[in-house]
Amino acid sequence: MLVELTVNGESRSANVAPETTLLRMLREELGLTGAKLGCDVGDCGTCTVIVDGVSVNSCLMLAGRASGCDVTTIEGMASADELHPLQQKFEELGALQCGFCGPGMLISAKNLLDTNPEPTVFEVRDALAGNLCRCTGYTKIIEAVIDAGEMMSQEQANV
Amino acid sequence: MATRIKDIQTNVEDLVTARDTRAPSRRPIAVPIDQPVTYPLDLPESEARLRTPAVGQRATRPDGRLHGLGQTQYIDDITFPHMLHAKILRSEYAHARIVNVDTSEAEKMPGVIATLTGAEVPENSFGPTYQDQPILAYPIARHRGDGVAAVAATTEQFALDALEKIKVEYEPLPAVYDPLEALQEDSPKVHGDTNIYTSKTIRKGDVEAALAASEHVFERRFSTQMVEHVPLEPHATIASWDGNGRVSIWSSLGRITLGREDLARTLQMPQSRIRLIGTVVGGNFGGKNEITNEPIVALLSKKSRRPVKAVYSRGDEFVSSTIRHPFIMDYTTGVDNEGRILARKIRLVLDGGAYCSWTGTTIGKGSILAPGPYNIENILVEAYAVYTNKTTTGAMRGFGAPQVCFAYESQMDDIADALGIDPLEIRLRNGFSENSLSPTGQSLQSVALKESLTQAADRFAWKEWQA
Repeated sequence: MLVELTVNGESRSANVAPETTLLRMLREELGLTGAKLGCDVGDCGTCTVIVDGVSVNSCLMLAGRASGCDVTTIEGMASADELHPLQQKFEELGALQCGFCGPGMLISAKNLLDTNPEPTVFEVRDALAGNLCRCTGYTKIIEAVIDAGEMMSQEQANV
Repeated sequence: MATRIKDIQTNVEDLVTARDTRAPSRRPIAVPIDQPVTYPLDLPESEARLRTPAVGQRATRPDGRLHGLGQTQYIDDITFPHMLHAKILRSEYAHARIVNVDTSEAEKMPGVIATLTGAEVPENSFGPTYQDQPILAYPIARHRGDGVAAVAATTEQFALDALEKIKVEYEPLPAVYDPLEALQEDSPKVHGDTNIYTSKTIRKGDVEAALAASEHVFERRFSTQMVEHVPLEPHATIASWDGNGRVSIWSSLGRITLGREDLARTLQMPQSRIRLIGTVVGGNFGGKNEITNEPIVALLSKKSRRPVKAVYSRGDEFVSSTIRHPFIMDYTTGVDNEGRILARKIRLVLDGGAYCSWTGTTIGKGSILAPGPYNIENILVEAYAVYTNKTTTGAMRGFGAPQVCFAYESQMDDIADALGIDPLEIRLRNGFSENSLSPTGQSLQSVALKESLTQAADRFAWKEWQA
């Protein structure tokens, strides 16, 4: 079946078998390997992408269901010459160790800050509840999200 | 104790609505403390410490940027033209003789290019200590995670479908699951005549005499459970066997030189013909310290003459990759009225699962650390690792250290409670200091145990909690 969607602002399409998940379509058909396959059952969150403003486990969503949707993946976060504040803060604070959870974690955090730029620790924890990390113990990740939120608010104020 | 619990209970609604954007590690200490804490710890600088000026410096990970951009290439992010996907069929029984493996029907399935069974592996055994583990089980499967056959097909789905068509004839054998039962003479044997495959004894002083002379003797059994590493990236391998008879393997393995040695042995070919490329690893924690599916993928590539990729499912990861050893720990500790430890007698039984893997290291470290970081004159540690028909145990962060820590610290609390001594105080009375001797006689340097405990207690206001 033909699936047409918008990925990171670009119109993309692929012919996929009906059972193909959005994750497999992104990784195998569109060459966007940022989102990862960690558990394939929606537990770990390494496959998180934003579909029409909602962060979803792309391993649980069929590609066909994303037809016509607007999808944002980790590849769409940085601009050509600038990192997203979240990426800057994650790097600065050592919030990524092995890095495998990073793309999903960053996408969930982005979706939070897009709607709530000044979250509390509890709101950050809630927004990242579906993203597992086995290396960091989460503390640095939470700090990075809060710092990035502050950075984005300041940038907004300066504009 | 009840007042402590009451003190830390906070209105959940207040927490959720609070505009406290500080993460836990940045919050000031809630309770005022007697003395200000100074960092870094003011300790005598050892010569070794002066030679390592980098310690204590802040550093940014050099690979952090690509991780954040999603541009780091883990194995599953790498593809090659005409690449096949491999899947492994696991044993139906915890213990069984494999009479026959028939892959003929699977080979007729759409997309299937090659199959592999244990009988086809040139040297079907590996292991970092004992080579007791098969690449694909044959003729005996010793736990449910043992692979019995593998398929390479043009898609993962075709490979999975083909697995269902493999006919394996089993002759079930009696199995043993409990490590204490496995110690009995009449228990089913996993390998050979006894299930005890490694043991360790540490003796210091005269433990029996010291226990007899102790004013109080505490006895208790502690046990810990299996733990899987759950690296977010499952084990993954790509192998490409070229026309010149050389094989290139991309692997999530953490020890590539050791891995190449094992591959040369199992594939029965010189190391010069094996190129093993260790890629960025998405979490290891000790679970990726030995080869797993690398020889299978290499041989499937040899048979199919195409690159082959294999990625473990999360299920494979749980049943087939190594896990942390469950320990059964019997502690007998003799103390005087002031809570000073006079003697400690310990028996450890390590549930090793079906194969040895890194048990040698685990039993060694576990035994040496079992008495705890305390000055004890009389010690006896007896440790046994036993085979059971369960998932293989191997390396995991600490190699046995966390298990024994749970036991000796729990018992320290028991002793403190029974003698009415402050739990911090009993540790300070017994704890290691500079030049203390470890149970095996090693003189210890840069020992900051008591300073660390005191500072930590200050930081979380231990005295105030107790008051």
